[in-house]
Formats: sequence, C-alpha cells, structure tokens
Amino acid sequence: MDAAVAYRTDLPFVPRRASILAMSPDARTDVELLGLIAGGDRLAFEELYRRYARSVLGIALRRMGDRGRAEDATQDTFASIWRSASRYDPARGRPASWLYTVARNAIVDGLRRKPDPTVADAPDMAAGDPGPLEAVEAEWVSWRVHRAIETLPEHERSLVELAYWSGMSQSEIAEYLGLPLGTVKTRTRAALSRLAGELEDELG
Amino acid sequence: MTELDDLVGNDLEPGERARLERVHALLGRAGPPPELPHALERAPEPPSARVIPFPRRYRYTALAAAVVAACALFGVGYLAGGAGGSEPVRTVAMSGPNQATADLALFEKDAAGNWPMKLTVSGLPEGRYELWLTREGKLAEPCGAFAVVAGETTVPLNAPYSLKAFDGWVVVPANEKTPVLTT
Repeated sequence: MDAAVAYRTDLPFVPRRASILAMSPDARTDVELLGLIAGGDRLAFEELYRRYARSVLGIALRRMGDRGRAEDATQDTFASIWRSASRYDPARGRPASWLYTVARNAIVDGLRRKPDPTVADAPDMAAGDPGPLEAVEAEWVSWRVHRAIETLPEHERSLVELAYWSGMSQSEIAEYLGLPLGTVKTRTRAALSRLAGELEDELG
Repeated sequence: MTELDDLVGNDLEPGERARLERVHALLGRAGPPPELPHALERAPEPPSARVIPFPRRYRYTALAAAVVAACALFGVGYLAGGAGGSEPVRTVAMSGPNQATADLALFEKDAAGNWPMKLTVSGLPEGRYELWLTREGKLAEPCGAFAVVAGETTVPLNAPYSLKAFDGWVVVPANEKTPVLTT
C-alpha cells in the first residue's frame, strides 16, 4: 500500500512523454515476440520491454514500497524474461499471465535478497487495509489496465492519462493540448472503447 | 474521479455506456502507471557472456586440456572416494534456446576449496561443451568440458574457486564464445 501511495503523491500527474519510449506500430503479438526472444532477437525484446516496463514497475512499486528496489526488480524481471522466454508455452496460458508470474517471482526474489532493514516483522494490517486476496486482485487489475494503456495510440494514451490522473478538467486538457473540447471528448471515448476491447476478460 | 459523462459526453448508447463505465471503474481502481525513470527508459542489456580473449589460441587449447585433465582426475577421485555429501547444497538451473536445459548440483566444498558438481544437460546438439563461471556478463573461469551425444548427459565437474566472486554460469560449445545455456 505504501508504494501505491508513494507514487500517487506526485499528483497532478502529467505524462512526461520524453521519458516514455516512442510508440511503435509493431503489430506482432506478445506470443510472437516471446518466440523471437527465445531465439535471441534483441529488437523483439525491446518491443516487449516497451509494452510491459511500466506495468512491471507498477507492481514492483506496490510490492516493494521503494523506488530503487522496484527499479532493480524491473531490470531483473526483463533479464529473467530474456533467459527463460523459451520456456513460455502458449498452450498453458496467455503471455500477459506468464509475464506477470515472471515479474512477481523477480519481485519476491528481490525482497528475499535485500529485506527491508527498517522492517523487523511484518507490519500489522490496519482494519481498513485490503486482505491478501484483495491485494492480489488489485495488483492483477493494475497490471492488466496498465498493459492495456500501452496498447493505445500515443494521442489516446496521453488523453487517458491526463483525463484520469492529471487532475485537469476536459476543458483544461483541451486548452493544454490546443484541441477543441469536442475532439478531446471524442478521442477519450475512442480510447475507452479501445481499452474495453483490450480488457474484455476483466469486464466480464 | 471525474464522472464518465464529463469525459465522453452523455449521448452514448446504453450498451456502450455500460461498457465504458466498467473501463472507467477499472481505470479508477488501477491508479496511474508509473513513469519510467531515466535508468529504465531503455530495455536492459540482455544478460550475455562475452569472452575474455586469451592472447594466443594455443594457450586456450592448453588451458582447456588442463581443465579437462584436472576434472577427469577429480571425477575419478570423487566417484571412487565418495568425497562430499550425497545431497547437493545448491542447485542451479540453466536454460537455452530450443528447450535446452541443465541442472548444476553443487556439493559441499572440500577443505581445499573445491566445489564438486554434477551437471545434467538435455536438449543440446551432439558435440563438446564447456562450463564457465561468469562475472559481469563475461566468461571468467572454466569449470570443465564435456561431450554430449544424445538425450540427457550427466557429468561430474569441479569449480576450484570462491563462488562469491562470480555472478553466473554458462555453457558454451568447445572453443566457442556464444553461450548455449545460461543461468
């Protein structure tokens, strides 16, 4: 919980596009990328990294509560993906699930390797905190939503991030981007519709 | 959180509105994705092993021959004497392309600092291979050579080093530099 809080205190959230890798029109599926990575394809590895790096960092921050350790765990996750991509079997599940498992294992390894010296025992859980099942569920939702956001075209992704996490109104976003308000709403609607398609499993 | 109507207008079909409402709720639950810090802007370099070249090829060959001889002697002594515990103190999994895998079992270190090992490999093409310790992605110290004919191969090997000084293991084809198995 601390980690989740820690990175929300930076609000208002305005995406810094320069810090995010350029969107590429790569139409290859995650399964195809993993197959190529298994054969040592560096470009496929970079594309998979672009798709999942923020999702991995997101759950690492939630779990570890420390940005430095979370960044290390993110690096470890992708090193592990590079080494073990050949073990991914599409018949046993979707790549997002497999990658999620790899990330969680890397995070757990990181926690074991460098236990937080300030925490002698597991902290007591406050009455209002979610239980373990709820925490896992929240982590999975976060993983899938963040991954789905990465599938959006650049102009829609920026809009979603501004609309939900910048604290700006649609009018302020329109002014910020120099777009008519109607265009901002139309694009936001298109982005949400595209996200609905990506998240159909979660939507039930 | 901003109301959905404020974001997309209020002229949606009921079915589409319900669909976007669910996405709207998920976005609220997920919270913002973190920004990637500078250090993570690019994909990390894939772990790879680069060779520290020996000055002359004959030195490499001589070293490999010495290692093979030492390992063979050790293996004979180890098997004959039953040195070391019967249970490994650590097992290292390795993997590579085309489903190739290996398990490296390390047994209790002897008084001289040798780590007896048992390497079991499968999925590698027929040929001769070498096991190396790596440091910072480079081949650092050899731990012996072995041959693979078909199926699973199990060989005793030895690492006469302080393992804390290294960060991984790789298997490379004999006299080559590209790993076929990595930790």
